[in-house]
Order: sequence, then structure tokens, then C-alpha cells
Amino acid sequence: MSSIEHGTSPDSGHGAGPWAPRQRGILMRAGYVRAAWCAGLFFLIGMYIVVAIRWFAGWDPVYDWNIITITGALTTAPIGFLLGLGAFDYWLYWISGRPTRPEDHSGHGAYSWKDYFKVNTDHKVIGVQYLTTTFVFFVLGGLMAMLFRAELAQPGMQFMDTQTYNGLVSVHAALMIFVFIIPAFAGLANFAVPLMLGAPDMAFPRLNALSFWLLPIAGTMFLASFLAPGGAFATGWTSYAPLASEQPIGQVFFNMGVQWAGASSILTALNFLVTIITMRAPGMTFWRMPLLVWANFTTSLLVVIATPFIAGSQFFVMFDRVMHTSFFVPAGGGYVLGYQHIFWFYSHPAVYIMILPGFGIISEIISVFSRKPIFGYRLMAMSLLGILVLGFSVWAHHMFVAGMADWLRVPMMISTLLIAVPTGVKVFSWLATMWEGKIHLNTPMLFALGFISMFVIGGLSGIYLGSVPITVHASDTYFIVAHIHYVLFGGSVLTIFAGIYYWFPKMTGRMYSERLGKWHFWLTFVSFNLTFFPMHWVGLVGMPRRVADYSDRFADLNLFVTVSSFALGASVVIFFYNVIVSWARGPIAESNPWRAMTLEWQVSSPPPVFNFDEIPQVVGGPYEYGVPGARHAVLKGGAAQEAHV
Amino acid sequence: MTGIGIVVAILVTLVAVLIPWLPTSASEEMDRIEFVYWFATIICIGIFSLVMAVIIYSVLTFRAGPDDEADGPSIHGHTGLEIVWTVVPAVLVIAIGIVSAVVLSQNGSAGANPLTVKVFAQQFAWRFEYPDQANLKSGELVLPTGRSVKFEMTSADVIHSFWIPEMGQKQDLVPGIKTTLVVTPKPGHEGTFTLVCTELCGLGHATMRAPVRVLTQAGFDAWVKEQQSGGGGGATGAAVFTSAGCAGCHAFEPAGSNAAIGPSLDELAASAEQAGQPLDAYVRESIVEPGKVIASGYKDGVMPPSFGESLSAKEIDALVQYLTGTGP
Repeated sequence: MSSIEHGTSPDSGHGAGPWAPRQRGILMRAGYVRAAWCAGLFFLIGMYIVVAIRWFAGWDPVYDWNIITITGALTTAPIGFLLGLGAFDYWLYWISGRPTRPEDHSGHGAYSWKDYFKVNTDHKVIGVQYLTTTFVFFVLGGLMAMLFRAELAQPGMQFMDTQTYNGLVSVHAALMIFVFIIPAFAGLANFAVPLMLGAPDMAFPRLNALSFWLLPIAGTMFLASFLAPGGAFATGWTSYAPLASEQPIGQVFFNMGVQWAGASSILTALNFLVTIITMRAPGMTFWRMPLLVWANFTTSLLVVIATPFIAGSQFFVMFDRVMHTSFFVPAGGGYVLGYQHIFWFYSHPAVYIMILPGFGIISEIISVFSRKPIFGYRLMAMSLLGILVLGFSVWAHHMFVAGMADWLRVPMMISTLLIAVPTGVKVFSWLATMWEGKIHLNTPMLFALGFISMFVIGGLSGIYLGSVPITVHASDTYFIVAHIHYVLFGGSVLTIFAGIYYWFPKMTGRMYSERLGKWHFWLTFVSFNLTFFPMHWVGLVGMPRRVADYSDRFADLNLFVTVSSFALGASVVIFFYNVIVSWARGPIAESNPWRAMTLEWQVSSPPPVFNFDEIPQVVGGPYEYGVPGARHAVLKGGAAQEAHV
Repeated sequence: MTGIGIVVAILVTLVAVLIPWLPTSASEEMDRIEFVYWFATIICIGIFSLVMAVIIYSVLTFRAGPDDEADGPSIHGHTGLEIVWTVVPAVLVIAIGIVSAVVLSQNGSAGANPLTVKVFAQQFAWRFEYPDQANLKSGELVLPTGRSVKFEMTSADVIHSFWIPEMGQKQDLVPGIKTTLVVTPKPGHEGTFTLVCTELCGLGHATMRAPVRVLTQAGFDAWVKEQQSGGGGGATGAAVFTSAGCAGCHAFEPAGSNAAIGPSLDELAASAEQAGQPLDAYVRESIVEPGKVIASGYKDGVMPPSFGESLSAKEIDALVQYLTGTGP
């Protein structure tokens, strides 16, 4: 709570403007104290709206705690929290005609670690906020995975009952997908994209701050479901109806958590789109944008188009529960498979939302660490758009055994298999970029190469799953668990690690330890394969997924997988040690330790508060390595730029 | 590089061939699935070996020394190469698609004279009905070889999924709609298998299994006859216990079940005493109205309240006798 005393500190960085904040007591100042009482107040408001309506209508019971939980705890209290924290201050001042801060950047920059715990409008601070928050959820989700792996070490039930097991599996997946992988990419992009574009910030800095603060709300909701009577939501991250509408109240924590995470995604994606379209530096044509920017442009389009569908699906399931609607209740004329169609219309594109930004990161790293231009730049950008378009025509491949219309299977299979083509183009282009290059095996490059090899395995098992007859055998088994982890861990998570090591010097101004980074890579790479590769086998020979107990014949392999998963957990400890110690005491980083051409490396590490003292002039492509005299951009008088030349 | 590629390809091929990746096929459909599987595997081994060979070769050959600050050659692309790696994978995946589509259509056709079996799923039990065998009911799935079986499936509550790993085929059972699945058990593969539910369906999902027995046609006919003569509504309590799926959730020593979703039925006398009811009445009430008395440590709403309707009065009588130790 001591962060309150810094309520006015951002101004100290710029000198006091004509506007000076009125000194207010601790209760009224934006911060955690106000957030706490506002959340409480808003909970009561939500609660008594429900109570008043029920009393007035004469419904029994007047205090229906299920409805009060949804309205008060999961809807109005978070709004109160955001209000108290100050996420809406500027807008409310403006609406009510009070003096607003005359310039936009009063919440810009971080001058102490405490500033990271406040509503901040600096995209670099928000990027770091995103990453640290998402890694907290990553650790919690990982610990849950180790808990249920411990249960799975032997057949039979040892440590928990099956509802707890199902709950752990479900919350693990929800945390990893909705509040780790998707927003971790948003965090990296938040930091890198405006810099790469030569922009001083995102297009909508206050919206950016709001998008971030929606995220801890979603994650907290997923976690808090363990406290609900009946336990956490236990229907998997897919939360299929009608099971989800008849589960204990913990289920609505998922339904609502997804709304908050989804709102965060959509707002950020809109922000990225506007930023990329309107805030490119002079000379930065679309065909001169780094591929990371292209990747986030494509991803943002996916998010904006698809995310409302999962929001809808979760609202409908919840309405079936609390309002007794019949969206997915057959007895009331509902259509059970409708849920899956709507859910996967988001959740398949979500797979690309979780990998395209990674493709962008890998393109940057492969080019820089091979000292060569990216091979086939335009086709690389076009293949992202190809995945975007095809990505919307494949959702029903998650439903090959679901009982949907038979004719849908073959077209969906063909479009699914065709996605291998643009994905293959990317892989082959990365390989061709390395060819005859000058390869430097720094930690980011190791993770990039690890990513390519693991993602190829995940992609190839995806070819098996694209084929309907094979999927009919393999769906809902551990083969799926293996596939999804090769794609999301071997794929997305390795690219997140690669990105963090790559931009670490830029974000913190300090270097990480290469030695520990390499240890982290090799331990992760080996233990990851030992954990997930055997799952292919155990699934194909007959072990279903999401089971708390299994046949004795799978016991040895499951024990092996459990031990490996603990090693995988341990490998993350090295990462945290490296990042935390290096951030505090690592050697000071140069402005451009990787000799990269993109714009973020042409300014100091960490960059100045407004990124560029003078708007850069872009004069060429971003990957002109080996081209004599080629420049991506011209910055006048920048010390960093002189060092580079 | 070719050398590295060949070494990788040999290693991956050994992994693919030496490990039995698929269960021994017991159905014609699974044979066809295996064919598609191997078709895809050959293509995948080729692609994987190529990618790994390039990565390994590049890292070994093109690695820069620690003080080498030079850049590589400024190659920006190669249109011919880019066309090749767009077109070749497209052709390969379409080939997989065509093979898959043909197999899919074969695996969906039941041929002439299939045996129809109705499958009912509910949390967390399977029931089977043979409409052509005078609506014979069973909790054990018994199938003849050499003949297609067409399953007509539905679910009473949530989504379940029907899978016998050795038979390959899988299909969800969805409340409100009827789904079908064709399986043709192969002659020479008679034996016992397990039907498992593969769609998360709640607390007892992991134990929602049913025994499957595959017999020759003659053996199947004999089984039908035996069931019909022993049946006629006079099934034993033990048979009802199996067919109603009680063993999916409850431990009961005489039946050899040890599931722990619901309370153990080995201590019924003690719980009846606790509830202050005579044993017989208590057991009957717990079957028909499971929410009336909840054993401590267990939750209401887990056991379906529908057994009073789905079981006949005679079946319930037999079940009560069986559970109280007064009948077979």
C-alpha cells in the first residue's frame, strides 16, 4: 500500500505543468486503498441491485448467492477495483468537465519499482507489467500441472478427489492460455511494436493501461474459483455445454474470467491495429515493417474478429445456468453442438493468436543471429495473412467426432491440411535465412532453433490430426495433449522465452547471463521432450485425456512423464534466477548488443521515455544485413545510432 | 547435409517402426486407419528429416566465431525455391486429404445386414440394447466378429464419447441428437476389450468404462439365447448392478468393484443405521431418490435421479436384494 505516496511522482520526472494534482487523503487518492474500498462498495452495489430486484419481484430466496456472485463479485467489484486504481480517472475528469492533465504522459515512465504497480500509460512500462503478471500466472499454472502430474504418477487416486483433479486441469489450461500465452505476447508486442514503428507510444495509451489492468482481474477470477463452494471449474478449458451449465458455481468464474481476459485482448488488439496503421514513422511503408509488426497486425485482426465469439459462448452457457435460457439445453429446444461451433470459431483462431506473434519474434531473431536478410520477406508477410484467412475456415476440425453434419468433415479437413502450406513456407524461409549465414548461438537463437524443431513436430502431429480417420482414433486422447503442448509449449512458450532474452537488454538496460540462459534452454528442451513425447504413444494406444485415474498398463510411462515434468518445472527456476539477478545486478547493456537494424535497437537501453528524441526517417528494409551501406532508418544525432555505424 | 538427413531419417524411422504406436487392430476400420497413419508417417518422416538436417548442418557449418562480426551474404529470396516449397507441401497434404476422405467414407459405411446396437450413456455408465434381438438389454457390450455393427447412440445428460481403442472408431454421444458409428470386428480377434468414455463428463469420467466381449457369430448367438432365457425381466441383482453401471462409481466387494466416486456399498448396514432406517428401505430409497440422504463426504446431484424410471420394479427388487446380501 506504500505505493500511494507516489501518487504524484510521475510529474516529478517532467517538472510540474500548469496542472498540479490536488493533494488528497489516502482514501481518495488513486491507488490500492481506494481500489480496495471501491471494489467493496461496488460489490455491495451489485449485490443490492440483485437483492432489490428479487425482493421487488417476490422471488425466493431474496439473497441468491449464485446471482450475487456473478453480479457483485465477478462484474461490479472488478469495475470498482479499476475505478479505485485510477484506470478511469482521466476520462471521468474529462467527462465531468474538471481540469485534465494538459499533456498525455503524466503517467509515463517508471522511476521506481513501485511505478510498475500503478496505472501507467507508457507502453514500455505496460509491456513489462504484462510480462511480469503473466509470468506469475505461468508459475501458478505450472505448479498446478505438477500437482496433477503427481496424482497421475500412479493409477488410482492418491492425493485428491476427482473434482479437484478436474479443477486443477481446467484452471491450469485457463491460466496458461488466457492469462499467460496470449497476454505475454501482447506484453512483448506492447514493448517492441511502437519502438519498431518509430512511434513515441501506442495510439491510445490510457486504453492500453486499462487493457493491462483487466488481466489480473481475469487471472484472479480463475484462481479464486478454488474458493467457491463445490470447487474450481472442472470442465476443461473448453467448458463444453451442457456439462458446464450444471456444474457447481465455480464454473461461472471461468465464464466471467474469460470475459475480462477477452475484453483485455480486444482492446489491446484495436490499439495495435490503430497504432500500426497510423503511427508508422515517415518512410515506414507496410513493406518495410519488421515481421514482428506484421505478425501482431495479423494477430490483432484475428483477435478483433474472433474474440467476441468466445465471449458470446460463455455468456450463453451462463445464461442457461442462471436465466434458464435454453441455448444448449435440448429439453428446451437448444442445440448442444451449437456451443462447440461458437466456441471453436474463436478458439481455433486463438491457436494462431497464440503462435503468430511467436513467428514474428523468431523471424527477428533468426535474421539478426544469422546476420542475413530474412529469406522471402514478402512471402513471409503474405503467409501470415494466408494463415489468418484459412484460420477462420477450420474450426470444425475440433469436432470431427462431435456429431456435427457429416458433409462438413471433408472440407474442414482439406482447409486444415492446407494451413500446413503457409506454415511450411515460414519454416523453410527461416531455414533458408540461416543458410550460409554467420550464425551466433546466443540464448535467443538457441530458443529460436529449439522452437523450429519442436514446432515442426507439433505441426506434423497436426497433419495426423487434420486427417479425419486418424483423428477419429486419436481425438480426446493423450495424443491431443502431446500435440497441444508441442504447439503451445514447444511453440509459443519457447518463442516467449526467446523474445524475453532478446529484448531483455532493451527492457532493463542490463545483460542477462548467457551461461544460465543456455543452461535454461538445454534443461527445458530435454525435459520438455521427455515429458510430452511419450504422451503421443500413451494416447494412441488407449489413454483418454482429462482422466484422474487410468489403466494399470500405462503406469510406468506415466511415472516417467511425472518425473520429467518436475525437471521441466525446475528448469524454469533457472530462468527466474537469471532474469531477477540480471535485472538487479547484471552488466549494463549496450544500446545495440545484437547489432540489429530494427529501430528499437537504435535508441538507448532502456529507451528514453518518449522513445525517440526526434522522429526517425525510415529509408530501407529492416533486415538489410550484408548489404553494404544499407540502413533501415536515419536518426539524427542519436548517440546510439553513431555507435551502430 | 545429405548424410545428416539420412541419419536423422533412419533414426526417426526406427522410432516409428520399433515402437508399437498403435494398438493391435481388432476391426476393419482400424486397419484402414493404420493405412492412413502410415501414409502420413512416411511423408512426415521425410519433412522432419529435411528440416532437422538443414538446422543441424547450418549450425555446424555456418556458425560464426566469437569475434566474427561479419555479415552473411545478402540473399533476399529465390522465387523458384519459394514456389517449390509452397507447391510441394500443398501436393503432399492434398494427397493425405484424398486418402483420408476415401478411408473416411469407407469407415462410415455399414454394408449390408449390419447388427444394430443402441448405446445409452449417462453419468457415468453405459447401457446397450439390441433391437433385433428382442430388445435385449445389457451392461456389457457383446459383439460378433465378421459383421458390421452399427451403433445408434444418445446421451441422457451431458456429452460422452464412445471409444474402444483397438477398434479405432470414436463418436460423441450428444444429448438431444442421435449419433451413429460403424465398427466391424475382425474374425480372429475375439476377446475382451474396454469401452472408455473420452469426453470429460464430470466427476466419474475416468471410471466411465464398460466391458466389451467380442465373440464369433456362433458364440454371439449363444450369448443372446442365454440372455433371453435367463432374462424376461428376471435378471439377477448382480446383472442389474453391472448393466446399470453401479460399478462405475461405487465400491462393492461381491461385484469386485473399487470405484470411489460415490460411497462404498460395503458399509450399507452402518449407513442405514445412521439414517435411522431399515436396511431394505434405505437401500431402495437411495437408488430411487439418491438426494434424500447424502453420505458424509459426498455431494448431492452426482448420482442420476433417474434409476427409478430406467429400471423396472423387478430389477430394483433384485438390486436391493443383491446389495443387502439377500439375493444373487
